[in-house]
Amino acid sequence: QEFRFGPCRVQGVALQELREAFWTVKDTVQAKDNITSVRLLRKEVLQDVSDAESCYLIRALLKFYLNTVFKNYLDEAADVRIRRSFSTLANNFFVIASKLQPSEDEMFSISESARRRFLLFQRAFKQLDIQAAQTKAFGEVDILLTWMEKFYEF
Amino acid sequence: HIAEDTSDLLQYVKFQSSNFENILTWDSGLESAPDVVYSVEYKTYGKKEWLAKEGCQRITRKSCNLTTETGNHTEHYYARVTAVSAGGRSATKMTDRFSSMQQTTIKPPDVTCIPKVRSIQMIVHPTSTPIHAEDGHLLTLEDIFQDLFYRLELQVNHTYQMHLGGKQRDYEFIGLSPDTEFLGTITISVPNFFKESAPYVCRVKTLPDRTWT
Amino acid sequence: DGVAVLPAPQNLSVQSTNMKHLLTWSPVIVPGEIIYYFVEYQGEYESLYMSHIWIPSSWCSPTEGPACDITDDITATVPYNLRVRATLGSQTSAWSTLQHPFNRNSTILTPPVMEVTKDGFHLVIKLEDLGPQFEFLVAYWRREPDAKEHVKVVRSRGIPVHLETMEPGAAYCVKVRTFVKAIGRHSPFSQAECVKVQGEALPL
Repeated sequence: QEFRFGPCRVQGVALQELREAFWTVKDTVQAKDNITSVRLLRKEVLQDVSDAESCYLIRALLKFYLNTVFKNYLDEAADVRIRRSFSTLANNFFVIASKLQPSEDEMFSISESARRRFLLFQRAFKQLDIQAAQTKAFGEVDILLTWMEKFYEF
Repeated sequence: HIAEDTSDLLQYVKFQSSNFENILTWDSGLESAPDVVYSVEYKTYGKKEWLAKEGCQRITRKSCNLTTETGNHTEHYYARVTAVSAGGRSATKMTDRFSSMQQTTIKPPDVTCIPKVRSIQMIVHPTSTPIHAEDGHLLTLEDIFQDLFYRLELQVNHTYQMHLGGKQRDYEFIGLSPDTEFLGTITISVPNFFKESAPYVCRVKTLPDRTWT
Repeated sequence: DGVAVLPAPQNLSVQSTNMKHLLTWSPVIVPGEIIYYFVEYQGEYESLYMSHIWIPSSWCSPTEGPACDITDDITATVPYNLRVRATLGSQTSAWSTLQHPFNRNSTILTPPVMEVTKDGFHLVIKLEDLGPQFEFLVAYWRREPDAKEHVKVVRSRGIPVHLETMEPGAAYCVKVRTFVKAIGRHSPFSQAECVKVQGEALPL
């Protein structure tokens, strides 16, 4: 079992455990997001991503989640169940991100295409109030995991 | 202005999904609510408009089939119900965000068990879903879940099991004793979404060995 | 927080075998009183990005004994900080923190326990249940010169499973080791065990 984002390989992370971690808090977390007419990880961001692009894109997304979404999402009053699931997701995203080394000599067009996709996501995120945006992004972790599954080898 | 409590009109608005057949169900808090009518709307997460579900406007039953309307398994959806009583009281409640891929349960597979003298063949038939591919044909569960596999177990005289499994549909348990009864159970497993179907069970007896008669 | 009157627990350490992780410490003794302990953890991410965030352990908030099964709390292969404090009524000790963060990739993997039997020509194996993170790599061969070794991955746990249909009169030997995907490590192989189709299990 490993992730294969094009040339990038990541072992030691069980996708099912991440899904189970999010599943236990899905309804609670998504119920806090009442902007039902905006989806950050929409088709234009994730659909038809080539293998070559995938390493760039997943690295950008995971770094964003680690540095911007997760970082201020929790406060000490947060429900214990959410803190546990959050910890499982954040630490495993941290493991994946630390193992992603996209090749430097990939064609510029590939990395540029991945960057454009990521900017679509980031722009949509910045159009919302920061707290609402963090809540929405955390609530869309299931969409991210479903996309990551395409690159998961059993 | 104190908001009127109308929770007795409407409760538990949720999707129930099995093999991607997506049914919206709800309940009324009242023992009986003969004069309450219900109207259903649905929406794709990320889109602005709520759409009225034809055939589920001002109905008295407490369920509505939204399989077609929520038929894109890569999308997420919401649905909401509005209940109106004869006295003019009303209540509206929305579902949690619904993703059929994550929430659908898997029914037992359809299997043909074929006993032979020293083996039992098991043929698993594909399970189609109501979901259409772009070219119009119906997708099977295998098309949708890339990590789907079948798990086959044969119980041998209550002491041990024989296991087979994989993505293919044709299996054969070999090296069995003739004229003996076996219990076979076959399940569909989708580990990534931690789904496992209830088992299909077949009780079969291997054929008598007539080679020396 | 209550006033820190109680002494903090000392000698925190983690014993980890086969992905079961046990945090232990020296008990705080107050004659005639029951002391309760609270255990908390944070992964590498929390310690780097939000060090004020600690998470109560799943099973030990609180607990009486000077030990805590933290297996369900360690859900990533990263270093974890762990801390414990003692309470007695409203009295609360200071936190004691594990000196070196714990990473589950340091767990000790032991050769698995197995039972090899036969039923007619069927070679049957039963493996101990070590939990969902374990796969078993079963190697078996016919006991004869230049025998070819076969390897099967077995995931079923705690139930006897058919391994191979044997040939009459032959002896077969089996050994097994575990593999843990989450940390990418194997255990050593178990001792081999052999059975003969018409005989009983022969120790090596």
